[in-house]
Amino acid sequence: MERREALNRVALLLGGAFSGPTLLALERWEGKMPLQEADFSLSSLEQALLAELSEMIIPRTDTPGAKDAGVPAFIEMMLKDCYYPREQAVFTRGLQNLTKQGFLQKSAEQKKEILLQLQQDNKPLMKAYSEEMASRGNPIFVPDRPVLPFWRLLKELTLLGYFTSEQGIKASFEYHPTPGKFQATKLKPGQKFIVY
Amino acid sequence: MENININAQKANRFDAIVIGSGMTGGMAAKELTEKGLKVLMLERGREVKHITDYSTAGKNPWEFEHRGRTPINSAEEYWSNVRFYGSLVSEDVGGLFTNDKQNPFIEKRPFDWIRAYHTGGKSMHWGRQSYRWNPGDFEANAKEGVGIDWPIRYNDLAPWYSYVEKFVGISGQKEGWDDVIPDSEFLPPMPMLPPEVYFKDAMMKKLNRRVTIGRIANLSEAQPQHTALGRGSCQTRNKCVRGCPFGGYYSSLAGAIPAAMRTKRLTMRHNAIVSELIYDEKKQKAVGVRVIDQLDRSVTEYFAKIIFVTAGAMNSAALLLGSKSARFPNGLGNDSDQVGRNVMDHHLGSGASATIEGFEDDYYFGSRPTGLYIPRFRNIGNDKRKDYMRGFGYQGGASRAGWNRGIGMDGFGADFKKGLSEPGGWSISFTGFGEILPDPNNRMYLDPEKKDQWGIPQIVFDAAFSENELAQRRDILISGAEMLEAAGFKNISTFDNKNHMGLGIHEMGTARMGRDPKTSVLNQFNQIHACKNVFVTDGACMVSASCVNPSLTYMALTARAADFAVGELKRGNL
Repeated sequence: MERREALNRVALLLGGAFSGPTLLALERWEGKMPLQEADFSLSSLEQALLAELSEMIIPRTDTPGAKDAGVPAFIEMMLKDCYYPREQAVFTRGLQNLTKQGFLQKSAEQKKEILLQLQQDNKPLMKAYSEEMASRGNPIFVPDRPVLPFWRLLKELTLLGYFTSEQGIKASFEYHPTPGKFQATKLKPGQKFIVY
Repeated sequence: MENININAQKANRFDAIVIGSGMTGGMAAKELTEKGLKVLMLERGREVKHITDYSTAGKNPWEFEHRGRTPINSAEEYWSNVRFYGSLVSEDVGGLFTNDKQNPFIEKRPFDWIRAYHTGGKSMHWGRQSYRWNPGDFEANAKEGVGIDWPIRYNDLAPWYSYVEKFVGISGQKEGWDDVIPDSEFLPPMPMLPPEVYFKDAMMKKLNRRVTIGRIANLSEAQPQHTALGRGSCQTRNKCVRGCPFGGYYSSLAGAIPAAMRTKRLTMRHNAIVSELIYDEKKQKAVGVRVIDQLDRSVTEYFAKIIFVTAGAMNSAALLLGSKSARFPNGLGNDSDQVGRNVMDHHLGSGASATIEGFEDDYYFGSRPTGLYIPRFRNIGNDKRKDYMRGFGYQGGASRAGWNRGIGMDGFGADFKKGLSEPGGWSISFTGFGEILPDPNNRMYLDPEKKDQWGIPQIVFDAAFSENELAQRRDILISGAEMLEAAGFKNISTFDNKNHMGLGIHEMGTARMGRDPKTSVLNQFNQIHACKNVFVTDGACMVSASCVNPSLTYMALTARAADFAVGELKRGNL
């Protein structure tokens, strides 16, 4: 299991942010934090490519897809607001590499092959990323924090954008914002994940 | 002119002043007003109204622009808060944390200081885990020659634990484990899930370690004393941190403040930063406080017979240090030079996790606002560690994975998408909470030059973990992995987020109690030794830290001190 995911999970279990449990610290303590400088945006070509990629990860089926849920615009906004210039650059470079390969002009089968290759190439990069994070005690808001590889960043933001959107939640899960009581249950046939 | 001043003084005169509206300030105001005193409560931050100001409590996930993630520019404004895994700055916590840039502090050594300047203080979003100290916690310093002895014992506090527990409402399971976590006055426990029950049984059988359901200040079943204040049962939304429209978890704002208000003897003033305690050399007492309005910077003085300093351990100590007079040139009550020293917290952020096979048919409904608790087992009973003193507890629990498991998984496309709409496998994780020893060289003090925007000296932190805490942390990983292994769980991994002191947000120790005025600041009733009408009852008073979450103990100490203070007033001693 992904270590960060495990920690997130404990945080949720114990009452989210403040219940102390996971309280992950950051390395940085000097209090220096440059404001986001470059006004990040994607070209219309990059936006089209991003839309295609996110839709390939979460396609429209009998339920809405990434594009239906506004995921491409969400990803661009998140990159602008929540990521440092070095991270934005990795993402843009990832898109540029695909553009160079003529991604949008490829057949569906060829596109899938390219994504499978990206997924494969991502593995050693993620290993290095995780090791650096662990050795530095999980730095979070430092401009020099380890940078997630392109595929991982794309996938993470696509899933976040989709599965927390109104369309994504309502189509994918049971949604019970006020459950009322906590109890152990048994899985029903076709049981969906429950979101609160 | 003179007459005008006299009139102003009359309007500003109370029986008691309580500084701070958080966990202990609220309890002080409740107790003092209920015992007949006219009380002024001063809160330095803005007013937050119960329910109506919980602006994010009813929002859906998609209504948060960044979906719970933290933008870089917020991280810059809240540069200390973001050390808490970035999560204290996100949109859903609704601004219930303090802007670090506007309220700067200085780190000689790194210190993760998290503040909450508004009604209710940190009680608005505390972890709610609530455990009594055990008798040994009060005796350990004396037995082991660490720091100084507590001037009280468990039996002094036990009735006050019972008293505040009934008011606050603590959900938990009676266990009879007096050696580690004596039982509280419990509301029904939250249920354990089948893999957790399995784990509990395996721990007892294989390692003789105890596991119980987390004891939590959430109303599993609201009682008449709770509903009388408008509090209802916990709805298991687990969104406590946003403020609860049901009053399901205890906060000063949902509990103590309305209780004090209903006496009609409480006056609250917000935006009121206490800059100084006013000491009268002739009366040899503190006669009042000087207040700066945080918005218009006007200065007002308020006067009272007794003063409860409950501003949070660091700000309470800073206020004492900044209140200088001919009698107290080093700060009010600081004859011992102990004010600001012995900074303690609980160290956390290290632990172990694993995946659980089986239990495929088991699921749950609701979002439980607690998990499992494994009480301290090190240096307890026959266990004796050579490499460190005291010990730690674990908090954690089991759950089934959600969609975010997909982030680290291979796959994309229609089947991948469909798979993520179903519950994933089980996993379990535990984080240690360790006791930090008191050390006079772990301290905070006032910077001689740098001031904040209100002209109040900035706090300097100079504290760090010692080898004892680092040795505990190593064992937290080893013992955590050992437990998961013994239970037969898979994919065991350990983590250590190399955080600093402060991130436990259990700040303590900066005005400790004690018998001897030469080595302590407060006596056994939280009175300043040399200025008896000032009481400090927040975490500052702690002589040692135990390894259990501290708020319940602070509240019990506060109720006890308030009872004593009112008695002393009646006896004419204050």
